[in-house]
Amino acid sequence: MKLILRFLPILAVWPLLFLLSAPAPAQVPETVCIQCHGAQSGRLGEPVRLWKGSIHAANGISCHGCHGGDPADMAMAMSPERGFLGKPAEEAIPGFCGRCHVGVKEDYLTSAHGRALGRGGPQCVTCHGSHAVRMATPDLINNRDCTRCHDYGRANEIKSAVSETDRRITELEQSLAAMHRIGIATREMSGELFALRNRFHRLFHSVDVEKVRSRTAAFQSELGTIRGRVDAIEEELKRRKLWGGAVVALLVIWGILAWLLHRSYMDDKKAG
Amino acid sequence: MEVSSRRKFLVLSLSTLGALVAGVAAYPLFRYLSPQPTGGEKGRVNIPRAQVGAGQAHFFQFRGHPAVVLQSAPGVFAAFSAICTHLGCIIRWLPENGEFLCPCHAGRFAGDGKVLGGPPPKPLQAIPVALSGDNLLVG
Ligand code: FES
Repeated sequence: MKLILRFLPILAVWPLLFLLSAPAPAQVPETVCIQCHGAQSGRLGEPVRLWKGSIHAANGISCHGCHGGDPADMAMAMSPERGFLGKPAEEAIPGFCGRCHVGVKEDYLTSAHGRALGRGGPQCVTCHGSHAVRMATPDLINNRDCTRCHDYGRANEIKSAVSETDRRITELEQSLAAMHRIGIATREMSGELFALRNRFHRLFHSVDVEKVRSRTAAFQSELGTIRGRVDAIEEELKRRKLWGGAVVALLVIWGILAWLLHRSYMDDKKAG
Repeated sequence: MEVSSRRKFLVLSLSTLGALVAGVAAYPLFRYLSPQPTGGEKGRVNIPRAQVGAGQAHFFQFRGHPAVVLQSAPGVFAAFSAICTHLGCIIRWLPENGEFLCPCHAGRFAGDGKVLGGPPPKPLQAIPVALSGDNLLVG
């Protein structure tokens, strides 16, 4: 009982250790943009609420990261002097997002979508939305959205060409996240996977089904290499569990033998 | 006699088991403490100097990872891991700007590897490079 009481505090903090090992979302400081717009209702407050659930918010990218301005000075926050850009015109959107998403912008601009920019062609926001932007998945290619501009046939071909590779990328991301949670250093592999995912998603933006098909094999082979390394670590973890079990069994046997030895001396003592 | 041979057997078993457990416990420790193979001489990469013009960068594989060697000024060479320190994308060299750019989130690095802008938290990882005749010895 005493023993249990002694270990109780450890048991109590155990779930906290798991919380500590979970990746913490980036902290976004409360800027004057959020203070003012967050308190407003309707059109002017909506962007803050949408942004809060976005991948940008999760990574600490706040209003001024895209719209410029001074996030620390209420009076000058929206002054062009402090670099405020406001809302970009439709044709300027790829350039606006492409200040950070350089590679994707390049592929988009040379694609059929990009070449139709300003003539009714889609830009970043058409598919990804603006403030509520999420991590891109092949689900962004869907009948409802694509048929706003053209028929779904070709888009569907691209979707089927990318879906399998994307599924394997997601699976690997989950395996790496699970390994990271138990304290295995995955930074290098996660980086490789992130880079691969990014290059693969750039490929979508070419909206060229032949290009996607011809490059998919190379991506799959790279994925296979990372998967091989992940499998080797998982195998090693299984082996460790097995050895751990064997050591525990050996210690139990050792304890029994020690007890027998001890008892034989005690018997001698009693007899003598 | 019977008791003493039983005891001998027990002591022998205890010592054997003890040695076994100690061995199993020591092995991971030994593996953890032993230095990782760096590839030594074999891990080095030889690049003909002529392949890296002044103001130009040359990308290559170094110990299984992308790397870059740069001639930032005539006769001044530097080599780095080509992996962006933000989330791991592969940087590229922009000769017209004299800087590296990461195509994922526009991280920028100077020719000496320092961060110039964007989200990367630290400089590019440097790799030693030495001139040896007409070759650059990286690693
Ligand atoms: S991965 Fe290079 S800037 Fe994000």
